[in-house]
Amino acid sequence: MRELEEALAAIREAESLEALKTLKARYLGKKGLVTEALKALAHLPLEERKRRGQELNALKEALEKALEDRARELEEAALKEALERERLDVSLPGVRLFSGGLHPITLMERELVAIFQALGYEAVEGPEVESERFNFDALNIPEHHPARDMWDTFWLEGAYRVPGPLGEEAEGKLLLRTHTSPMQVRYMVAHTPPFRIVVPGRVFRFEQTDATHEAVFHQLEGLVVGEGITMADLKGAIFELAQALYGPEARVRFQPVYFPFVEPGAQFAIWWPEGRKWLELGGAGMVHPKVFQAVDAYRKRLGLPPAYEGVTGFAFGLGIERLAMLRFGIPDIRYFFGGRLKFLEQFRGIL
Amino acid sequence: MRVPFSWLKEYVPELESPEVLEERLAGLGFETDRIERIFRIPKEVVFARVLEASPIPGTGLKRLVLDAGRVVEVVSGAGNARAGIGVALALPGAEVGGMRIGERRIQGVVSHGMALSPKELGVGEYGGGLLEFPQDALPPGTPLAEAWPEEVVLDLEVTPNRPDALGLLGLAYDLHALGYALKAPEVDLRTEAVPIPFGLRVEDPEGAPHFTLGYAFGLRVGPSPLWLQRALFAAGMRPISNVVDITNYVMLERAQPMHAFDLRFLGEGILVRRARPGERLRTLDGVERTLHPEDLVIAGYRGEESFPVGLAGVMGGAESEVREDTEAIALEVAQFDPISIRKTARRHALRTEASYRFERGVDPLGQIPAQRRALSLLQALAGAKVAEGILEAGNPTPPKPIPFRPDYANRLLGTAYPEGEQLAILKRLGCLVEGEGPYQVTPPSRRLDLTLEEDLVEEVARIQGYETIPLALPAFFPAPDNRGVGRPYQKERRLRELLAGLGFQEVYTYSFADPEEAPRFRLFLPPLRLLNPLSPERAALRTHLFPGLLKVLKENLALDKPERALLFEVGRVYRVEGGVVREETHLAGLLFGEGVGLPFGEKLSGYPLLKGLLETLFARLGLAFQVEAHPYPFLHPGVSGRLWVEGEERGFLGEVHPEVLRGLELPRVWVFELRLPLPEKAFRFQDPSRYPLALRDLAVVVPEATPYAEVEGLLKEAAGPHLESLALFDLYQGAPLKPGTKSLAFHLRFRHPERTLTDEEVDAAMARIFQAVRERGWEIRG
Repeated sequence: MRELEEALAAIREAESLEALKTLKARYLGKKGLVTEALKALAHLPLEERKRRGQELNALKEALEKALEDRARELEEAALKEALERERLDVSLPGVRLFSGGLHPITLMERELVAIFQALGYEAVEGPEVESERFNFDALNIPEHHPARDMWDTFWLEGAYRVPGPLGEEAEGKLLLRTHTSPMQVRYMVAHTPPFRIVVPGRVFRFEQTDATHEAVFHQLEGLVVGEGITMADLKGAIFELAQALYGPEARVRFQPVYFPFVEPGAQFAIWWPEGRKWLELGGAGMVHPKVFQAVDAYRKRLGLPPAYEGVTGFAFGLGIERLAMLRFGIPDIRYFFGGRLKFLEQFRGIL
Repeated sequence: MRVPFSWLKEYVPELESPEVLEERLAGLGFETDRIERIFRIPKEVVFARVLEASPIPGTGLKRLVLDAGRVVEVVSGAGNARAGIGVALALPGAEVGGMRIGERRIQGVVSHGMALSPKELGVGEYGGGLLEFPQDALPPGTPLAEAWPEEVVLDLEVTPNRPDALGLLGLAYDLHALGYALKAPEVDLRTEAVPIPFGLRVEDPEGAPHFTLGYAFGLRVGPSPLWLQRALFAAGMRPISNVVDITNYVMLERAQPMHAFDLRFLGEGILVRRARPGERLRTLDGVERTLHPEDLVIAGYRGEESFPVGLAGVMGGAESEVREDTEAIALEVAQFDPISIRKTARRHALRTEASYRFERGVDPLGQIPAQRRALSLLQALAGAKVAEGILEAGNPTPPKPIPFRPDYANRLLGTAYPEGEQLAILKRLGCLVEGEGPYQVTPPSRRLDLTLEEDLVEEVARIQGYETIPLALPAFFPAPDNRGVGRPYQKERRLRELLAGLGFQEVYTYSFADPEEAPRFRLFLPPLRLLNPLSPERAALRTHLFPGLLKVLKENLALDKPERALLFEVGRVYRVEGGVVREETHLAGLLFGEGVGLPFGEKLSGYPLLKGLLETLFARLGLAFQVEAHPYPFLHPGVSGRLWVEGEERGFLGEVHPEVLRGLELPRVWVFELRLPLPEKAFRFQDPSRYPLALRDLAVVVPEATPYAEVEGLLKEAAGPHLESLALFDLYQGAPLKPGTKSLAFHLRFRHPERTLTDEEVDAAMARIFQAVRERGWEIRG
């Protein structure tokens, strides 16, 4: 029994799984002490063999259990040690990737376009270098008409042509489009009613820049044409815009104004509940019959049948910068083209 | 246009207040830019009569003795200070123009106040002389404010379609349509049966479709009465003399400009013709002008000779202007071709109240009524006698009737205005309504903007008020050719969002380029230039986006010193091809700085990072993407690649050329730029294979200069159809490899879609690869 005590103590004190293995071999291995003793039983008388056998089996079981316990202890300790070793400072910063973001005008434009897409409008784009034919003439703004003074224009040098609505070469003095409205003509030439579109895009005015004026800015144009389209439909569209932008308290106001390519013409304002004021947002109206006529005349030149007899339509246009400035509290329009990352990075939270 | 409230109220007596007027006008389509209050005249400013004006020797000054209820002496430097005129006198204690008037000693003479110019009194811009009144305009000593009470002026925006509203009567007619009573000015004219001592010949009836000349004589030219001067000041004009002021007053009333010629300088009469080449005229502003053969001129004539006395519809000549001793005038009231006037005004950079109105158009039937109105005022205010006849040339064109259907108005507006109400509105606007179904509506001749049925519809809506139009939403199915037109826009939006998700910050830069800067970016000169640039740095249109990104980086570095930046822009660039402008949408990106990695460890940046980001982008887009070495002038010759997307050349990727960077004082920067829209691959679902993978590794030793893409291409081709993927995992140079060679090691994965590949099949594929590699003269390593 003294031997057993010694063996158990050795097991309990084993320092490693390696040492434990050696102990196991010494006692329980093929040539281990217990194994040898069990082999020796064969030479003993039956009674004694029985008694001694039971003793040895008990001894073997005790050793096995001790070995197992110690092994578990050692494994647990090893795991604990390993986990401790692999401990990280989880508060350390991770690998620094880049975080990107969209420009606030992109964000504002996306919001506006989404509002109209929900109403079934499709968004299309047009060229920025434009012929006066589409920017002015076809929109009932003939040369030498004082109405042309309403748009301070950048003109281009050189007698080049631009691709027309169907890719044909279009004549006319070249300019940087002063509004997105030439897309009304381009789109109508290339498509047939009824339809609903919005045209976001960059426009240009020959104008010195200050806190509220930019020579380069962005507009959203809307055009809905079909049989029986009314001015009430126009008001409804702007009302939807107002509600989507500023919630159920938003209201709309329409007042007569002159744009040569609409009749009746209107300017519209939205009641901005948060700022408690009317925001003059843009111009609108019913598509002028002369615009439809110009479109059909151009279609004829291209060999297309007339498509705009007996239809009516409404159009509207609004400035995106203004809305973005209000939406985000931007005090100066020059920030948009300023390219300063400290400005641009602020809009990352807007998903 | 400046609208003095009290003046307009003369025609519309029921006007409540300037505030109500502003609201009414807004509803009618006239926006008020601002409201100004003028004639805030201090009580110490009194009317005074100049009794005596004597020069103070050795100075340009005069000593004035005035009757201001008592005799007052002041010193004045004004050129027009003279005995016999009435003036505005600021007595000591008055505050005018921000200064307090006191008694002052000037050149040894004590000045007991100050005689005022319009500017000093704060009623006009003119500071070059005294405000001049008739000497008996008021009892001397009367505070001027009693005759000139405060005025409220609305500065109105009048759109080009409403030239009639450039006269106050035009606004009055509109207000009348809203229900206000109208009190049009009465013309009380007594004429004399005298022959008209001058002739009228219109040589160019296209330029002057209707031309009239009135004759007034026995004039006494002098300062206008106080009410007239006040009206003109309030409207933003400077009173000159009663005769000139009357022409301006009637113009402001009726939007019909007119001009008075001193008869002494006309010869036998007036000839309306185009200018002769090289002909010269000194206009009222004192400028000697060389006329253009397209300019329409008013000329005097003697026999066959003629000489310009005015630039028609723009400005009169200096010689024939009305002056103090003018006794007889020919009064020109005409209608001119708007385009001709506009061109002349532009050519001479001379935009006047007259040209502004003529280029928008005047009432074709308005000349004779305007003559009579002006002549009656000349009679009343300048003692004129007026000849019975008015010379007239040309035929005024009366307005044509417009068919009008009230039910069309409702269809266009989405309203249910009763027919009777619509017709009543048109009548109140001065239209003649005749017939029935459709009605024939003849607008008043002053309303040049009313020519179509839609114009009348707007009139109905305008007077009803746009707020009475209901809200509606149209429901319809678009015509088939409109389906899917929004797809390209959506694609571009998503691309921007993908880039932002990858860590790129979007920026917007101007579409302009500085042509001088093109060499600095090692670019060709931009082909599209502006005729009227805002500045030389913005004189052309950009051909690439990346210079803008470089500038953005430079500005950020100067201001905020960021350690790194990853930028992108999607925008238009402009080229010319075969005489046609080609506008393309580009996507450009820029990488600068330390790149990605642990803040406290090694970083990855530069070309491999930017290329990796593009690879990720194209993987997300499902598009094949390759870069092959190709030198671009603006890129580092050794780090310059051409971008291929789905086998199509799309742009470039590389490190910006050191010379470009040096020019901009920038550190190393990597950029890419490519042409949009990107192709879209037709989607086809592929069932992933469920059979086991066969994995092999392979290392190939190739000459150092061999591009990776070449090796990859050869392996893929040789491996046959069952190579599922191939991945580079090691790139090695050095011992034991031969100098000038490199080893590329790959993991290869083989798999068959429908069965398990046998070892023999995979071995055969590997054998084909070995053979191809050796045939190329490369080696298999290990």
